Amino acid sequence: MSKIFRLPHERRTTLKEYFLHPFRHDGHEEQRALQDVTFRVEPGEFFGIIGPNGSGKSTLLKIIAGIYRQDTGTVKVNGLLSPFIELGVGFNPELTARDNIRINGTLLGLTRRELGARFDDIVAFSELERFIDQKLKNFSSGMYLRLAYAIAVQVDFDILLLDEVLAVGDAAFQEKCFASFDRFRALGRTIVLVTHDLGVVQRFADRAVLLIGGEMRALGAPDDVTEKYEAFASPLAV
Amino acid sequence: MVEAPGTLHAPRPGGIAHRLRILQVIVLAEFKLKYAGSALGYVWSVVKPLTLFTVLYLVFTRIFKLGSVSEFYAVSLLVGIVFFSFFSDATNQGMVSLVHRESLLRRMRFPRMLIPTAATLTAAMTFGVNLVVVVAFIAWERIEPQLDWVLLIPLLVELYVFILGTALVLATLFISFRDMGQVWELAAQLMFYASPIIYPAALLPQWAQEIVFLNPFVQILQDVRALVLYDDLPANNVTAPDVLGEFGRLIPVGIALAVFGLGVALFKRYEPWFAERA
Ligand SMILES: Nc1ncnc2c1ncn2[C@@H]1O[C@H](COP(=O)(O)OP(=O)(O)OP(=O)(O)O)[C@@H](O)[C@H]1O
Ligand SMILES: [Mg+2]
Repeated sequence: MSKIFRLPHERRTTLKEYFLHPFRHDGHEEQRALQDVTFRVEPGEFFGIIGPNGSGKSTLLKIIAGIYRQDTGTVKVNGLLSPFIELGVGFNPELTARDNIRINGTLLGLTRRELGARFDDIVAFSELERFIDQKLKNFSSGMYLRLAYAIAVQVDFDILLLDEVLAVGDAAFQEKCFASFDRFRALGRTIVLVTHDLGVVQRFADRAVLLIGGEMRALGAPDDVTEKYEAFASPLAV
Repeated sequence: MVEAPGTLHAPRPGGIAHRLRILQVIVLAEFKLKYAGSALGYVWSVVKPLTLFTVLYLVFTRIFKLGSVSEFYAVSLLVGIVFFSFFSDATNQGMVSLVHRESLLRRMRFPRMLIPTAATLTAAMTFGVNLVVVVAFIAWERIEPQLDWVLLIPLLVELYVFILGTALVLATLFISFRDMGQVWELAAQLMFYASPIIYPAALLPQWAQEIVFLNPFVQILQDVRALVLYDDLPANNVTAPDVLGEFGRLIPVGIALAVFGLGVALFKRYEPWFAERA
């Protein structure tokens, strides 16, 4: 599977430009974000994705989640998917945390009854009881993360996609996440985790993939894959 | 807290019930956001059309003496302004809605059409608030409600279909052309003056009437006025069949449906790339 972003030149994004210069063909640049990425994640597996900044990890997750469209190849998803992508499930910052839980829970597929039954669990998991009627724009990034994670895991998902979930949480919340990883694994859920924390990949993942510049450089046992990454990242290897 | 997969009986996301629920939750939250925070929220939403109404009413009755074209010039003008404000607000908000919700689009998968639909529905709620004022004016003019006012319902449905179709076209274009905002503002302004909102339709020459009545908005507005202000003077009581004929009257309805079809088709075609380009 491959993905190319077409980046229109700045001055080509207005109608005015099309009218003034209808035949100018400076079109767009291409940004190759993923190139021939192929792998299969087994049901119940914990799968890690690692790689440097801009290597295409988030793009890959968004394609799996059906948010971006790949240019070539196919993506097959069997089961209900719950995405947690780039620090959040997409909130409206002007609304209160309470309203955002309702909107995002609904978008993720919770019915009114499920939402009612799980609302307290979401709040309890995030430990944000005191802030539940505050506008989201006043939340710290860690609080934001807690809320988003709490909602994402309240969906009866088969597959959980996690991107940067450990980035800004404090130690206590990280431990909570780790405990939930173990619980999901025991329940046979599939987890795909993007992270820069190689220790977490070694500790939890069954397998991992290394992306560099949009290409797969390694796929297999977490220890081997993280070792490859470390070799690539260390200055001696350059 | 978390049940094993497969044990749940809840409908999986994506069905029609789920979509309606999403619309309900978003529209209610946005509406609350607009009107909560200030008790004057409802007042503010009627201030804009009422101000425009007052200014235009004074100018066109006192200076241009247009008041004599209609038994109910005030109600007629107010209906025109309130309907036009709905059209203009809903299409504008629908146009920018995808780009405004960019962070949501990039983090979740759901039918994208819900976003402009929710934006136009939120505008429809404001329209509903404005209609309360219109009803007050109608009562004050002692216009007797008629049985055939139920025909207002299909007209409002036609108006919403036309608005949603227009908003879908604009939202798709706005993703790629960020100056669509200016273009549409200008187009809407031209439409305001090209429509018989301030002046009676009969004031236009025949050939011009034949053109403006192709616009579904004009057809709907004139039908609404004819229903509500049923015993108005002939100059202000011109409807599509008068101008386009018994069969010709179907043309604006067809145009509204065609715009809707075009909007849905265009939107669906480019939907897969909205998230990355928004
Ligand atoms: N919507 C977009 N339009 C254009 N280019 C994009 C878009 N999204 C991502 N890219 C480009 O694709 C490449 C991969 O980005 P991506 O976000 O997948 O990286 P990443 O591996 O998640 O990085 P990080 O570790 O910093 O999160 C980058 O060069 C980025 O600029
Ligand atoms: Mg990323």
